[in-house]
Amino acid sequence: MEKIFALIKQMEADGVIGRYAIGGAVGSIFWLEPITTKDIDVFVALPTTPGGTLLTLGPIYEYLLARGFAPRGQFIIIEGWAVEFVPPGTPLVEEALAEAVERDVNGVATRVFTAEHLAAICLQVGRAKDHDRVSRFVEQGALDAEKFETILRRHYLLEKWHEFQRWYPEP
Amino acid sequence: MTDPMRQILENKRARRKELAALPVGEKLRLLEQMIADTRAITASLPPKPSHPVQAAPKII
Repeated sequence: MEKIFALIKQMEADGVIGRYAIGGAVGSIFWLEPITTKDIDVFVALPTTPGGTLLTLGPIYEYLLARGFAPRGQFIIIEGWAVEFVPPGTPLVEEALAEAVERDVNGVATRVFTAEHLAAICLQVGRAKDHDRVSRFVEQGALDAEKFETILRRHYLLEKWHEFQRWYPEP
Repeated sequence: MTDPMRQILENKRARRKELAALPVGEKLRLLEQMIADTRAITASLPPKPSHPVQAAPKII
């Protein structure tokens, strides 16, 4: 997976993508135990079309296809992994991208969402597997409670958090 | 909940904590191993059921 991180970093250096950060299950693994997943979510600030405001994945596809990587649905297969480039769709994800932190994986630097942002995104998405992940963040003590609640307050998620606490009492 | 059940949960939590404390590179290796193991699972198909009419004994 380090090769993928190195490639994404190179894409940023080459100006194909703007600021990027790893999110989703792979992002969570930086803070939790390994969680099985089929893909890697790379959140990216996308360039806009020339002279316009439309966000485009075109340059990413051109760059990667020219290097021999194949598309599959919304993914691009890199080193056997389905990699998805996702523009931030909510203010919470935009903030997560802006505040993502640098991490080293066997000598390769990459950027990943903070544990607090990952947990807040899980809470916002709200599927069963997301709630399960929130409970793991809590159980591992991976969250800075003050920072987490500030994020929840800023993104109107406190009510969801209180509801979550009712359904998932502390272990 | 019985004591053995509580113990199972406690062991599971302790194991998760242990795994979470590993270096990221090692955790990603474990993930790759989990996926490879899953892909390696194979299953043989059961034999096709015989056609009920063709398989029926002919009555002359």
